[in-house]
Amino acid sequence: MNRYAALLSLLLALLTISGCGFKDIDKRFFVVATGIDWSGNKSKPYRITLQLAIPSPKIEPGASKIQYETIDAPSIAEGVRMLKAYVDKELDFGHCKMMIIGEELAKRDINHSIEWMLRRRDIQSVATLAIGRPTAETVLHVRPASERYPGNALLLSFGADGTESSYNYAETLSGFARRVSEKGMDPALAIITNDGKESYIINQVALFDKEKIKTILTPAETQLFNQMSDHFTKASMHGMFKGTPLVIAINQLNSSFRLQGHTAPVRITMKVKMDVVFEEAPNGLFDKDWLSVEDALATEYEKAAVALLKKIQRHGVDPFGFGLRYRAVYPGKNAWNNWTQLYPDAEFNVEAMVKIEGTGLIR
Amino acid sequence: MNERIRLLFAEAADLKTYTLSNSTMSIEIAYIAPLCDEKMISDFITVPFTKEEIPYRKQLDTIPEYLKIEDPARWQDLMLRGNVLIKDIDSGEIFSFFTGDVICNESPQTQVESAIQGPQIALSEDLNKSMNLIRTMYPAPEVAVEEYSVGYISKTPLLVVFDQRHVDPSVLDNVRSKLSSISIDMVHAAGELEKLLIGKRRHLFPTVLITERPDRIAKSLSKGKVVVLIKGSMFALIMPVSFFDFMHAIEDNYEAYWMTRTLIVIRYLSIILTITLPALYIAIVSYNPELFRVQLAFSIAASRSAVPYPSYIEVFVMLFMIEALIEASIRLPRYIGSTATTVGGLILGQAAQQAGLVSSIMIIVTSVVAISNFVIPINSLSFSVRFLKYPLIAASIFFGISGVAVGLFLYVSYLCNLRSFGKPYFRLHGKVNPAEGDVGQVRAK
Repeated sequence: MNRYAALLSLLLALLTISGCGFKDIDKRFFVVATGIDWSGNKSKPYRITLQLAIPSPKIEPGASKIQYETIDAPSIAEGVRMLKAYVDKELDFGHCKMMIIGEELAKRDINHSIEWMLRRRDIQSVATLAIGRPTAETVLHVRPASERYPGNALLLSFGADGTESSYNYAETLSGFARRVSEKGMDPALAIITNDGKESYIINQVALFDKEKIKTILTPAETQLFNQMSDHFTKASMHGMFKGTPLVIAINQLNSSFRLQGHTAPVRITMKVKMDVVFEEAPNGLFDKDWLSVEDALATEYEKAAVALLKKIQRHGVDPFGFGLRYRAVYPGKNAWNNWTQLYPDAEFNVEAMVKIEGTGLIR
Repeated sequence: MNERIRLLFAEAADLKTYTLSNSTMSIEIAYIAPLCDEKMISDFITVPFTKEEIPYRKQLDTIPEYLKIEDPARWQDLMLRGNVLIKDIDSGEIFSFFTGDVICNESPQTQVESAIQGPQIALSEDLNKSMNLIRTMYPAPEVAVEEYSVGYISKTPLLVVFDQRHVDPSVLDNVRSKLSSISIDMVHAAGELEKLLIGKRRHLFPTVLITERPDRIAKSLSKGKVVVLIKGSMFALIMPVSFFDFMHAIEDNYEAYWMTRTLIVIRYLSIILTITLPALYIAIVSYNPELFRVQLAFSIAASRSAVPYPSYIEVFVMLFMIEALIEASIRLPRYIGSTATTVGGLILGQAAQQAGLVSSIMIIVTSVVAISNFVIPINSLSFSVRFLKYPLIAASIFFGISGVAVGLFLYVSYLCNLRSFGKPYFRLHGKVNPAEGDVGQVRAK
């Protein structure tokens, strides 16, 4: 008798923890991407665009069916609630892996949107964040012809399964939230540009302070940034050697930095080691001395890298986490204050070590 | 004697009683004809008696097979077991002579636990033949054999076999006392005896291993386990056992190392799948669809959109069909059995999906559940595992994934609580406490 009582009380206890209600998968509307824009209207500042998947048993290129819902609302949560009145099934953000924030909103303040995403329990922390240009809505309305199921194309661009582009900077919601709250490490997001046709380009990165965009890097800088932050290392690099153009493919790249001294001026030394193979090279390079080529490439890389670091420093942001390292190495109550004074005058030194593994040809 | 015997038995045409005389003596013989070998009776009793080459009285005194019976109360019992009763009328002494002719299967092939490269012969329904197999495979002088009989009416003979060196005395005492305390009219099958030995009427897991393989029995004897053979059943009981013995196919000892280890892993995966998959289907489809990859979520959503009922009804429909199908194919005569599987498996499954009664994913779930259930090597565990999924389904309907997790936890706790003849049932490899004894393996490493 006691045993049955124990079992019954256990089942009753379970009733309190049943989180989500019983709702079958076909009674749910899966949101595959969410766009949040600045509407321009003060009383209803947020324009929310939801990309809803219409499930179909056939998964083949070009077969994806999507429904869009857009609304202007005074807050995001309210907007989503109002959108429920527009659809026939329960909205489910469980599969919403793409969160796109409009460029206009990103230039004002993103904290409110990020907080909403973090608080809502069905949005996964591994959802990818990106900036939409000109607006998130236009980016979401792009329908690539190759898309196999709703939301697939953007997901493939940012995930590790699909294309591996050296210009792409994938940031998850949890990573972004960490960078927003951590002193000494600033967030960065990729920009998805709608080129006006049925596709999009992802080749730029926007650097944020804790709440809005401070600067936007050019595609070349973006690639360099990805390499130096160890984010994406398979890339190519252009160079000149004695007047002839060279293109090299980077097979492997390691970058690390260290801080030297904790009084002004702080010196930040960044070491970049890379193994490269030639993709385009003048004839007869195989027999020449590779050392001078390596040196020339390294010098060129160093110049570009220092320029990028200086540009980032000029805008007062710190996506590499120099400040975090300073706080870790020189802890103390005033560490952060010291760093905010030190960083604007910090000096950069990049040591690139290029190692040529081969010319890409077998002689 | 003969009049008295006719009184003892009901009116039976097969009860034979004769009086024979020769020049020196006269005897009365009585036997039940179908239970005895008539040829033996004529070869050993009537022909030597009438030929008188050696005085028959001398044969009665010298040949040890003639047992002298003092107690008339044993007459019935002896005759029912195939003995002939012989009375020397002059001296009034009564002898019994065993001429039993029991019909049993002749050293059959293994059918329930088949192995590709192991011994192919199974235990016999005759105790002597079974003991022959066991003694041949385990020729050790330490093998002890004790005789018991259970059942007030059936009086089924049992043999308790163990290796004296290795057996755990506490387990042996336990088995002995359980056997002598059984009070029931009939026992005919190993499974019936298992229930009586365990003593619990409702048990979820088998705690006695039922096998037909003499090689498994020999191996168990060497590990100090107790084996009970039952007359009229080609299955023996092995005790004590742990849960992991049930997951061990005898062929794991005979085949290549890496593949057998892989198969063991696959077996455990299957048992987890067969228990949890229907419950997880409900929990994930109806509570947490974000656990799927997005493609799968869409294709399940699309294939489910034709299904009018909630997911658990769908699960019940399919599980009812598959359980009925399995049951039907076991009970049907072998010739119709394959028709049932074809009709059920192919036609019904396909039609149910096209009719929109179940989704195509559910068909896969059902097949996985059925197939992985068949992977379990010992039939009694496979049978009890078939039930385990239903409580989990009930939990998942109301509580989703957390319900499934709590249900699994309850199962594991129950398993840990179980004892097989005093030995922990679910003990993973751990240090053996000498005070507590081993899992029936006193001397084994």
